[in-house]
Amino acid sequence: MSVLALERVTKRFDRVLAVDDLSFSVAPGSVFGFLGGNGAGKTTSLRMVLDIIRPTSGKIEVLGRAPGRQNAPEIGFLPEERGLYRQMTALDTIAYFGRLKGMAMTDAKREGAALLDRFGLAANTRTTVDKLSKGMAQKVQLATALVNRPRLLILDEPFSGLDPVNQGLLEEEIRRISATGATVVFSTHVMQHAERLCDRLLLLAHGRKKFDGTLDQARAELPARLNVIARQDPSELGGVESATDCGEAEKGWRKWDVRLEPGVAPGDVLERCIAEQFPLRRFEQLHASLHDVFVHIVGAPETVQ
Amino acid sequence: MNNILLVAGREFRQIAAMRSFWLTLLIIPLSMVIGGFTPMLIHNDEPSRVMVIDRTGGGEARAIRQRFELDANRDVLNELSRYVQRHHLENADPSALWAQHDRWYGDADVARFIAAGGADSAKAKIDRVKAKGTPEFKASKPDYQLVPLPASVLNASGASLDAAVKPVLKPQVKDAKPVDYVILVPASFGQSPLVRLWASRQPSQQFVTTIQDVLTRDLRTRFLAAQGLSPSAAQNATSIAPTLAISSPPPGGGAREALLIRSILPLFAAYMLMISLMLSGSWMLQGTVEERSNKLLETVLACVSPEELMYGKLLGTAGVGLFMIVVWVACGLFAAYATQGAIADFIRPALDPLTSPGIVIAMIYFFIVGYVAIAILFLAIGAMSDSMRDAQGYLMPVLLLILLPISVLMQAVLGGNNGGVLMEVLTWVPIWTPFAVLARLGLGIPAWEVIGSGLTLALFAAIEIVLLGRLFRASLLAQGQRPNLREVISRMRAVPS
Repeated sequence: MSVLALERVTKRFDRVLAVDDLSFSVAPGSVFGFLGGNGAGKTTSLRMVLDIIRPTSGKIEVLGRAPGRQNAPEIGFLPEERGLYRQMTALDTIAYFGRLKGMAMTDAKREGAALLDRFGLAANTRTTVDKLSKGMAQKVQLATALVNRPRLLILDEPFSGLDPVNQGLLEEEIRRISATGATVVFSTHVMQHAERLCDRLLLLAHGRKKFDGTLDQARAELPARLNVIARQDPSELGGVESATDCGEAEKGWRKWDVRLEPGVAPGDVLERCIAEQFPLRRFEQLHASLHDVFVHIVGAPETVQ
Repeated sequence: MNNILLVAGREFRQIAAMRSFWLTLLIIPLSMVIGGFTPMLIHNDEPSRVMVIDRTGGGEARAIRQRFELDANRDVLNELSRYVQRHHLENADPSALWAQHDRWYGDADVARFIAAGGADSAKAKIDRVKAKGTPEFKASKPDYQLVPLPASVLNASGASLDAAVKPVLKPQVKDAKPVDYVILVPASFGQSPLVRLWASRQPSQQFVTTIQDVLTRDLRTRFLAAQGLSPSAAQNATSIAPTLAISSPPPGGGAREALLIRSILPLFAAYMLMISLMLSGSWMLQGTVEERSNKLLETVLACVSPEELMYGKLLGTAGVGLFMIVVWVACGLFAAYATQGAIADFIRPALDPLTSPGIVIAMIYFFIVGYVAIAILFLAIGAMSDSMRDAQGYLMPVLLLILLPISVLMQAVLGGNNGGVLMEVLTWVPIWTPFAVLARLGLGIPAWEVIGSGLTLALFAAIEIVLLGRLFRASLLAQGQRPNLREVISRMRAVPS
């Protein structure tokens, strides 16, 4: 059974189609990346999952139930636009959100204190938010999402605005909570984070799903590339789409950038080289980055980092 | 329900943590105390100092002195009579003039009062019967005090008299008390009616009338004597006056005075509703704007529904408003208890409406429903605004719309007016209904109007909750420029799916 499932979900704002016929599901315990450029429909989709807004059509299931506040005790949410009550103390803020998620006051305070301690803010439990640094406030905000030990953690652009230290801390927290069996869904347009963390990815563009699968499956969407050092031009080999001469490697040997035809595995080409006694000094497969995959699938490089 | 209470509790704590909240809470009782003492501070109860230069032989100065003494004793007798009536002390001496409240005290009455020992004798009799805790009678000071003539004035005449009077009216010597009035009754008075009056400032109407009356009587006596009447007959003829039998309401009861005192509590409730609404409403608005500008809403809305958020905010703010009122009422009761006398005496009849369950129920109903009906406007404004500057754009017209007619209404009720088109309009237009009905409760408002306007107000509040609830929900996460009227209406019409 999936933790989160969207079935043919559409959301229209006036004349703007924000989410278009979107279907996907998230398996329990996985880290699921929600990728797309600005305006792709990531935040709208997550808001629908949380019942902050309602879909125009389609069906959403969260933890086996319809979206709604009844799910709040099992969900943690960190929105893209972050803020806290400036006059509340760090601990009171975390405890307040814990209470809103159905926790008892003592449990919420205890868990809040433990989280602040883990984030290195034990000395600031009684400090009001307006006196905390931006980095500290971001940690408090993260703690408000984690206080109820959620089964499903939803993070909307969690890395935006974080300094490298806090980005590392957040990555660690995502791995830690995933290790406890919880499911993490996060949206991002920073591919490196998704590449490091996600078990499964969903690529969105203009509200439509462009890809849904594992990282390897995503890479397979791109034709494989090889870095080859050979005496002859490899473009004549079967399965090779093109080969670009990149200059001399050593006397009599040249470097080639080889692009394979779609669906052709590098191993098959290597077998052909051996069978045809095609002399090689190097046969190196180049792994496509998620960025390349994204650009290939979505085709809007200006919105991707 | 739990989430509503949690949001309400947070709203309450946030406002209660503000310094401005506590300052405002204390300013009202403080201003009442200052307001109570101010008249004492600015009221000059020192007698006016009067100097009489009587060149006729001393008879006119004597007549003026006697008149001053008579008037001063008449004032004491009147005050004594009101005091006795207020505290039901007639049994101290039922035959005494001060135990008879149904008359205007003439000169003969005042003379009898003086002859019977005046205020001192009356106080001694009253002290024997008055209950413990009844405040002491304190007579006010006389209006005028005659001061002796200095030699410089006594011996001056003609043009030198003006020069001699000047330093008396405005003394150059430090600590010398100025004289307020100097009267010259020349030796020729009688043949000529001319009398001169110097005054340190614009003379009071009461003083001029008193002096004129004394001297007119003397002129008339002289005239009648010249016509052949014996001096004593002429004297009596000028002092003939009717004896007025008067029926007036006792202090704190009857007629308009009683109506006004009965109106104090409902008027106070209307006034408190207005003040607490304006204050707590603007704090709530500030809180909602902060949630929007601090990008907090999405986190909150993941846990509570917009409706729970709205009701929680309303409840929290109503709690703040009611807390303020409880504190102010407690301060008032403490003041009444601590001062025992005058204030308690004044408040007792004002609390009379509380003996009528209908009025009590109406006051509570209009206060609470009125609070919700108006506070929700502030909430909707807060939800549409990204900053306090934005909010001011909506707030000012709304505040003016609510407050301007109310100040007129308060004046009308204080003036004892309980009718007319304006009063009816204010009673039946829902945003003014709570104020108008509360203010009119003491003056007497027909039951059908209370029930009808109460139902109209409830209907209005219900429609507001539906429409402004939609506006609140639709505006919470809306971004971009401040919505125009068309956009506001479209948000109100948008039924949440």
